[in-house]
Amino acid sequence: MTAEHHAGGAGAKPVDVRDPHLTRFDIVKEGLRRDDIEIVTYESQFHGQNSKAEKRVVRNIALLFLISGAATLAFLGFYIWWPWEFELGHTLSDYYTPILGISLGIGLLALGFAILAWAKKLLPHELSIQQRHGDPSSDSDRLIAGQTIIYMADELGVQRRPLLKGAIALGMAPLGLAAAAPLVGGLIENPHKGEHPMMYTTGFHPSHNDGKPVRLTREDGSPIRPEDVSTGGQMTVFPGIPHGATNQHADSPTLLIHLRSDDATVTRAAADADPRNRGSMWGDYVAYSKICTHAGCPASLYEQQTNRLLCPCHQSQFLITDNAQPIFGPATRRLPMLPLTVDAEGFFVAASDFKDTVGPDFWERP
Amino acid sequence: MTSDTPARRRARVFSRRRSAPSRARRRLGAAVRMLAALVLAGGVYTAFAPGAFADDDVQLSAAAQEGKALFDNSCISCHGRDGQGVDERGPSLIGVGAASVEFQVSTGRMPMTRQEAQAEEKPPQFNDDQTRQLAQYVQEIGGGPQVPDGPLTVDLEKDPDALARGGELFRVNCTSCHGFGGGGGALSSGKFAPSLHDATERQIYAAMLSGPQNMPVFGDNQLTPEQKRQIITYIETQLQEDKDPGGLFNLGRYGPSTEGMAIFLVGITILVFTSLWIAGKS
Amino acid sequence: MKRRKMDLAEAPKTFAKGVDDRFQAATPLRGLLNKVFPDHWSFLLGEIALFSFIVLLLTGVFLTLFFDPSMKEVQYDGDYLALRGTWMSAAYESSLNLSFEVRGGLFMRQMHHWAALLFMASIVVHMARIFFTGAFRKPREVNWVIGILLFLLGFFAGFTGYSLPDDGLSGTGLRIASAIMLTLPVIGTWLSASIFGGEFPGELIIGRFYIAHVLLIPGILLALIAVHLGLIFKQKHTQWPGPMRTNENVVGERMFPRYAMKQGGFFMAVFGVIALLAGLFQINPIWLFGPYRAAEVSSASQPDWYVMFMDGLVRLMPNWQIYIGNYSIPPMFWPAVVGLGALFTLPMAYPWLEARKLKDKRTHHLLQRPRDNPERVGIGMMAFTFFMVATLSGANDVIADKFHISLNAMTWAGRIGLLLLPPLAYYISVRICLGLQQHDREVLAHGVETGIIKRLPNGQFVEVHQPLGPVDEHGHPIPLEYAGWVVPKKMNRLGALAPAVKGFFYPVEKPAEAPVSPAVEAIKREEIKSGR
Repeated sequence: MTAEHHAGGAGAKPVDVRDPHLTRFDIVKEGLRRDDIEIVTYESQFHGQNSKAEKRVVRNIALLFLISGAATLAFLGFYIWWPWEFELGHTLSDYYTPILGISLGIGLLALGFAILAWAKKLLPHELSIQQRHGDPSSDSDRLIAGQTIIYMADELGVQRRPLLKGAIALGMAPLGLAAAAPLVGGLIENPHKGEHPMMYTTGFHPSHNDGKPVRLTREDGSPIRPEDVSTGGQMTVFPGIPHGATNQHADSPTLLIHLRSDDATVTRAAADADPRNRGSMWGDYVAYSKICTHAGCPASLYEQQTNRLLCPCHQSQFLITDNAQPIFGPATRRLPMLPLTVDAEGFFVAASDFKDTVGPDFWERP
Repeated sequence: MTSDTPARRRARVFSRRRSAPSRARRRLGAAVRMLAALVLAGGVYTAFAPGAFADDDVQLSAAAQEGKALFDNSCISCHGRDGQGVDERGPSLIGVGAASVEFQVSTGRMPMTRQEAQAEEKPPQFNDDQTRQLAQYVQEIGGGPQVPDGPLTVDLEKDPDALARGGELFRVNCTSCHGFGGGGGALSSGKFAPSLHDATERQIYAAMLSGPQNMPVFGDNQLTPEQKRQIITYIETQLQEDKDPGGLFNLGRYGPSTEGMAIFLVGITILVFTSLWIAGKS
Repeated sequence: MKRRKMDLAEAPKTFAKGVDDRFQAATPLRGLLNKVFPDHWSFLLGEIALFSFIVLLLTGVFLTLFFDPSMKEVQYDGDYLALRGTWMSAAYESSLNLSFEVRGGLFMRQMHHWAALLFMASIVVHMARIFFTGAFRKPREVNWVIGILLFLLGFFAGFTGYSLPDDGLSGTGLRIASAIMLTLPVIGTWLSASIFGGEFPGELIIGRFYIAHVLLIPGILLALIAVHLGLIFKQKHTQWPGPMRTNENVVGERMFPRYAMKQGGFFMAVFGVIALLAGLFQINPIWLFGPYRAAEVSSASQPDWYVMFMDGLVRLMPNWQIYIGNYSIPPMFWPAVVGLGALFTLPMAYPWLEARKLKDKRTHHLLQRPRDNPERVGIGMMAFTFFMVATLSGANDVIADKFHISLNAMTWAGRIGLLLLPPLAYYISVRICLGLQQHDREVLAHGVETGIIKRLPNGQFVEVHQPLGPVDEHGHPIPLEYAGWVVPKKMNRLGALAPAVKGFFYPVEKPAEAPVSPAVEAIKREEIKSGR
C-alpha cells in the first residue's frame, strides 16, 4: 500500500460515493471526512509487497499461533489425563494446578502476542487526526431544554394545587417506608435484649449451666485439673457447656496460665489491688479472656519469660503480671480476668462470669 | 536461654531509677549499687537454689561422664560447676532436664556467643552423640523432662485420623506464634517464634516439653505424648514437606503480604512491559 | 409465482440492509469504526483492570456452581486427610471440595483470587497515571469520581469474597470487621448485631456476604464500569501534547482494525498472565488455615494487600480512647472509619479543589507532564507515601520477623514515618519537578549538551551546545517556547548520533529538523566515528 497523505478531513471535498470510478479507499476517505477525521500517514511498514522482512514477520506470527494452539491442546490433554485427585505425600497430582496454569498461560500469552504482533508489525502504520467537537450545546438548545422542563412542571400544576402537594407527600411516603420496612425490620437485631445481653455475657455465665458455675474445658470438652497445666505453660480453655468450644460462644475462649511462683506473687499483688480482679486467681493460676479488647482477635501469643501477651492482629501487648494492662499497641483496655476456683472434684470452674466486658470496645460499654 | 533472673531484673530497675547529679558520681553510685545488688542476689540465690550443695561424686553413667567432660569444657563458664548457674551469665540447669539440653544444643542455640534478647539458632557445635551425652549429664545431675525413646511420629497407615487431630491441636496451640504455615512470627520487642521448617522431631518434642526461651511449656498432662506425636506428624507431613498443590512457589506461605508483593512484582510488572511494547513505536 | 433464487453472495448485503432498516445502524457504526484513539503505553493500564474484571466474572461464575454459602456445621470427610473428621461450616467444606475434589477447581479458585489482586493493583496504577498527568481535570471529573467508587467497590468485593471460605484467616478478618462496626458511636452495637444477625459470628453472615459478593457488588461494578467506559467514549480520550496535537483534536489511530486488535491481544495477554500466576504461585492455601474458630489465630494475620493500608493504620493508631460521660469512642474508630472515609472522599473532591485553587475553568484534553504541575505531584507523592507507610505497617510483623527488627520498633517507625515521610516526599518531589522543569528550559534556551569540549583561544574550555531551534546572527540559539512535551536532551534523540530508528519505516513524529551550523555538524560527525 502506498503512502496516502492528507486524505479526508475537513479540507477534503465531499464526493458522491455512488460514483463507480471511486476506489473502495476513496469511499473510506469520504466516511472519514464525514467523521471529521484526517489521515496524516497511512503506509505499509514494509518496502514493497512480499518483502523478506514481511515474510519473516508473517512466519513469526504464524509460529505464535501454532504455539498457542499446541499449548491449549496440551492444556486440554493435561486437564483430562493428568492425575488430579489429591493424595497425601508427593504425587503427580501436586503438579496438576501448575501444569494447567503453565499450559493455559502459554496458550493465552502466545495467542495474545500473535494478535499483538499482527496489529503492530503487519498492519499499515497510521496517524489520524479527529476533531473533538467537545463544544457544549448551543445557548438556544440549552434554553429550549430548560424551558421545556419548567413548562412540564407547570403543566402538572403542583404549584397551583397545594392540596395535591400535600397529598403526594402523604400518599407516597408510606410506600417508600413500606419498601424499607421489611429490610429494616428483618435485619435489625437488638444487641441489648434479654436478661443477659449477649454483649455482656460469655459462656462462663452460670445461666448457661442451670445457675451452677461453669467448668473450664479443653476444646474437646474435657475438664481440667490444676496439674494439667505445667509451670510456665498456658492452655486455651472453653466454657464446659454444650457447644462451649464452638463459634456459638465466640467471646468465651480464655487463656489459662500457670505462672512461675515468683511471677504469680507479683500478679496476685496486682490483682488484689484491683477491686474487680481481687481474689480471681487460684494458686499460681490466672485466666484471662483470649479475645483482644481492641479488635477481637485471640490475643494468645504468650511469652512465658517476659509475661506478655501479644495479639497477632495489631500487636497490642498486655502485661500478665499487671492485670493484663495494655503496655504497647492500640489496645486501651486490659484483658478481663476470669475468677478461678476448683470444684469438689478437683476441676477448674469459673467462680462467676468475667467481671469486665469481653471483646472489642464499643460506645455504650459500661 | 536468656538469663533474666530476678537479680538481673532488679539490677536493671536500680540502674534505671538513678537520679542525675554528676556523671562520675552517678556512675560510681550505680556501680556500687549494682555490685551490692549482685552480691545480695547471688548470695540469696546460692543459699536457696536447689542442689546448691549437691554432692560432687554422684554416680554418673558412662554417657554422662562423657557429657560432664564436654560440659566442663564448653558450658561451665556460664552455667557453673555441676550446672549450678552463674549469676549474670547463665541460669542453673538443675531440673531443666535432658529435653531442654537437647533442644538448645542441637539447634545451636547453646553455647551462646553473647548475651541477647533471644538465643539465635546457629549450626550446632556438638554432634548428635555429644548432645545426647550432655543431655544425659544434665539429666543425671538435676532431673527434669526427657524426650522419650521410640518413634516421635504416628504411623499414618495405622491411624490416618491422627493427622487431622494433630492439625487441630497445632492450630489451637501453636499457630498463634509459629503461624499457619509454620514459618514463625514476630513476638514483642525483637523476640520471635522460629520457623518450624527445619526442626527435627526430637527438637519439636523437646521444645514442647521444656518451653525454651519465651515458649510456653506443654507438659505431658496438657498435651499427652500421643498428642505431641500427632502434632509432630502434622508438622512433618503438611508443613515441612512443602506440599503445595496450588503452585510451584508457595510465596513462603506468609499470607497476603507476599501475595500482594507478587501481584506488583510479577503481574503488574509483566503487563506494564507488555503495554510498553504494544505502544512502542518500533 | 416465480421462486426467487437464493443468492449467497447477496446474503450479507440483504442482512445488513435489514438490520439498518430496523435499527438505523449504519451511521453510528461508521462513527464507531472510524473513532480515533491516541496511543501511549500508559493508556493501557486501565484496560488491565477491565480485562481482569472479565476474568473475575468468568471464573467467579464457575466457583458459584460449587460453593455452598452456609454456616451449618458439618463434619469433613473429603480427600484432604489433614482435616478429615474436623467439624467445619458447610462454606469451608465446599471451598475445600472445590479445591480438592473438583477437577481444575483449585486452578479456578487461584485464578479468581489472582485476578482480584490484579484488578485492584491495576486500578491503583491506572489511578496514579490519571492523577499525575492531570487527566481528571474538566471535563473528566465525574469519571475520576466513578474510578474511585470502582476502587471502593472493588475493596468491598474483595473483602466479602475473601471472607466467603470461612477459613481461619478470613474469619479473623471478619472478626476485625465486626469490631470496626462496634466502634461506631451510638449505633455500633446495633449495626454489628444487625449485619451479623446477632452476636458475632452468628450463622447468617456468609450467606449475606455471598449475595453481596456475587450479585449486589458486581452488579453495581458492572454498571459503573459501563458508565466509566461510556464517558471515555463520549468525551474521547485525553492525549499527550505533541506535534499536531491540540486541545481540539485526537491524534492516533482509528479503532478498527489496529487499535481493536491490540486490545484483543492485550486481553489475551492479561488472561495469560493471570493463568500463569494461578498455576505458578499458590495463593490463599485455606486448607492450612483450618475452619474459623474464635480461639485460633495465626501470627502474621493480614488482609489482602488493598485492605492492608487500613490494617496498618489501625496498628499504628495510639491507644487514645475518648470518653464522653458514660460513653466512649474506641481508638480504632479513627483509622478504620474516619480514615477510610477520608481516604476515599478527599481524592474525590480533588479535581474541584485543584480547579478552584488554580481558578481554572477551561476544559483540558491535553495531558500535563507531571513536572509541569509540581504542586500536584507533591500532593500525589504525599498521598502515595502515606498509603505505602500504612500498607507496609499492615505487614509490619512479617517485616519485623524476616528482617530481624523489633516489632515495637516497627510500630514506632510506622508512627513516625506516617507523619514525617509524606511532607518529606512532598518537598522532594516538588524540588525534583522544579529541577526537571528548569533543565527543560535550559536545553530549550541553550541547546543540547554535545559532550564536546572546545578550547577557546583565550584558554577557556566550553562545551559545545547543539541548538534546538534557529540561531541569531551571533550564532546564539533563540530560546524556544516550552510546548508541554518531551524536550530532547541527548544527541541521539535529534538523530545526530546513531540512527534513532532503523528498519523499514521512519518515525512518524519526526523530531524537528534542527538547523545546524556546519562547524558543529562536522565536529559531531567526527565524534560519532571516534566514539564507536
